[in-house]
Amino acid sequence: MSRRLILILLLALAASAPAAAQKTPQARSIGKRMMCMCGCNQVLTECNHVGCTVSAEMLAKLDQQVARSEPEDLTIQAFVQEYGQKVLAQPPSTGFGALAWITPGLAAALGTMIVWTLLVRWRRQTATAAPATVAPEVLARVRRELDEENEA
Amino acid sequence: MALVCAIYAIVAGIAGIGTRHPLLIKSARNAGMAVCLLVTLATACLVSLFLADDFSLAYVAGHSNRDLPVFYKFAALWSGQEGSLLFWSWLLSIYAFIALFANRKRHPELMPYVGVVLACVQLFFLLLNVFAAGPFSVLAAPSEGGALQVVAPADGRGLNPLLQYPEMVIHPPTLYLGYVGFTVPFAFALAALLGRYPGEKWIHITRRWTMVAWCFQSLGILLGAHWAYAVLGWGGYWGWDPVENASLMPWLTGTAFLHSVMMQEKRGMMKAWNFWLVFTTFGLCILGTMLTRSGVVSSVHAFAQSSIGPWFAGFLAFILAVCLAAYLKNRDYLRSDNQLDSLVSRESSFLFNNLILLLACVAVISGTLFPVLTEAVQGTQISVGPPFFNKVNIPIGLFLLFLTGVGPLLAWRKTSLDSLKRNFAWPLIGGLVFGAICIAQGARDFYAAVSLTLSGFVALTIASEFWRGASVIRARTGSGFLAAVGQLTMRNTRRYGGYVVHFAMVLIFIGLAGAAFNQDKQLEMQPGSRLDIGPYTLVLQAFTSPPPETPNYSAERASIEALREGRPLMMLYPERRTFPASEVTSTMVAIHSTLNEDLYVVYAGRSPENGQPVIHAYLNPLVKWIWLGGVVLMLGTGLALLPNRQPAFAIVRAAQPEIALAPAEGVAAAVPQGSLRSGD
Repeated sequence: MSRRLILILLLALAASAPAAAQKTPQARSIGKRMMCMCGCNQVLTECNHVGCTVSAEMLAKLDQQVARSEPEDLTIQAFVQEYGQKVLAQPPSTGFGALAWITPGLAAALGTMIVWTLLVRWRRQTATAAPATVAPEVLARVRRELDEENEA
Repeated sequence: MALVCAIYAIVAGIAGIGTRHPLLIKSARNAGMAVCLLVTLATACLVSLFLADDFSLAYVAGHSNRDLPVFYKFAALWSGQEGSLLFWSWLLSIYAFIALFANRKRHPELMPYVGVVLACVQLFFLLLNVFAAGPFSVLAAPSEGGALQVVAPADGRGLNPLLQYPEMVIHPPTLYLGYVGFTVPFAFALAALLGRYPGEKWIHITRRWTMVAWCFQSLGILLGAHWAYAVLGWGGYWGWDPVENASLMPWLTGTAFLHSVMMQEKRGMMKAWNFWLVFTTFGLCILGTMLTRSGVVSSVHAFAQSSIGPWFAGFLAFILAVCLAAYLKNRDYLRSDNQLDSLVSRESSFLFNNLILLLACVAVISGTLFPVLTEAVQGTQISVGPPFFNKVNIPIGLFLLFLTGVGPLLAWRKTSLDSLKRNFAWPLIGGLVFGAICIAQGARDFYAAVSLTLSGFVALTIASEFWRGASVIRARTGSGFLAAVGQLTMRNTRRYGGYVVHFAMVLIFIGLAGAAFNQDKQLEMQPGSRLDIGPYTLVLQAFTSPPPETPNYSAERASIEALREGRPLMMLYPERRTFPASEVTSTMVAIHSTLNEDLYVVYAGRSPENGQPVIHAYLNPLVKWIWLGGVVLMLGTGLALLPNRQPAFAIVRAAQPEIALAPAEGVAAAVPQGSLRSGD
């Protein structure tokens, strides 16, 4: 097959690449709550990676369901039925998915507790520390730092 | 040969440390440097094979073709698994060469350990290059006699079209320079711990290395974001993709290290913490490379996937074991003098800064790996997409922005209430006024309004720092304000370079805030049809298939006239390109960018129903501020890397007591080098 023929076939393929414009803003809004199932790890309405046929199919189906005026949650549920929970763009707040939401909060609480404990402990150490004799080199460093602070 | 040299550098290095034999230590160092020459030779060979279109090499055949421009043939080196790992090795060998050569006559107790650590990391990547993902495999087929013989296809399969973009020639090397660069501070830290190197010297030695790696990492992330924006055609620059997240994780811990290291330098605090931050940053660089290269998580950016995951997992486990063992063995060496005069102090702000940066890192890691975890536990994946990351990370980011403003205004040791009022009042009022103006102008989104208000506040705190310092210099020297700012900056480049970097973050946050007001419209169009978006009107003039500029691809092009408030503005030409070698298509976005907004137009393809071209237009406010922030960030880091320049009056003052001791030697001879430092 000649090179030119291959090129023509490819152009024809490219021209038929599915790129349906979504019909309604509601469809676009729902589409942003779901992931493309081709494995690209992109939000459904944002998946435009080369050769993706899955997102085109999903978007067409979404348009159809929105056109039938089905409630938003029911539409999403239909996709969950077909593709599983993986289709949701964020983990559910119940079941095992809740762990994803809890982890950052737990880390924040734990981290704050540790930092606060450290600060209080260091403050206490400083308050109870006996006045120490200061080594000349430490004194020189402090003086230099103070000079820098003042100059700046 | 490089592999053998790396093994020799490790064995001779360990023997040299044990016996303290100078010749062994020297030969280990030379072997470490020889690795660089050998890996450079290997890399040059691969590049020359790309340039010569030698398709008998499987890697060249898989990632290049005859019509590929020379520019991209060079970039094809890192477009696949094997080449990118060789590229990793090469960059690491260059970093190691510079570190070993520059310090060949310095730090004799520390450098043998550094050489061994660097050689160990190098060895891992060379093992991958040789045994797991060699880029020099040839294509072979059985001949008539049954023996295998080398075959070369007439043409290669071509470079991934998404990578055929000028930025792709710069972005991966920049990001890799960041990833690989963190190996050097890691090597110095581990060496200092293993060798119980006294004091904070290792921090002084690695400060510039860390900043260079951090700057490359930042730049790499921003270039990647710009590439995603300009090439992928989905209208955004950050999609919380696992590969994007992989580059962000070490950046977050690296940023935490750059801040907390000051606690150790100034106050001798947090020694163990700093070691662990460096270890974690390096570990995350390896984890990031693993995520990008192994296919553990799915990503549109992962251009190479294979089964090298276990190698990386093993290496990560090895790093953790070594770091943990070194820490447990030398815990007493890391005992810090942790004292805090007041809860309201610079020290507290640094602790919270570290907390927030690490929290962001935990949120990104947990979100990125959660699908893998759910698959392992439940057998089915749960997706974690941008809505999750935005909900979790936006508040964290805003708190971090707040601390960026607060931290520099707090004094070391203790900040009085009066000083707090004096330093905060005007920036706070200014920030609130700026926020109110933005809201009045239409920024009616909670997070965006908070981000803009905080941006105003932080910008003013930075300005007030420059103002106060420059005023002191003006009063002393009588120079003009700008000259005083210049003197001030050059006198303490680290501090004021740091402020410039903070200002860059302000610009980036302003740009990010704009995302709350993105608009987009998609329409099936035919010549003469109009699409209105914001103040713009797009009129489709024609659809053409222009004669190809290069045989590498052909294109379908939409000619669109853009009008702003009814007046002709410019012509935009979004394209859809077809690459015959790889048999795929890609989009070329047309962008009209201003400080206010980007008009971003994509030719998305043809409608399957009626064959009409589909145009997707986006109006993305303030995006340019992000790229502007990237430029300022580079300038700020460059500034912070410059050595301090001393004012004349400071030299005279520091020299006085010394002159009394050695009057005959003169000022220049009498002043010890250390007293000329204004401290960084």
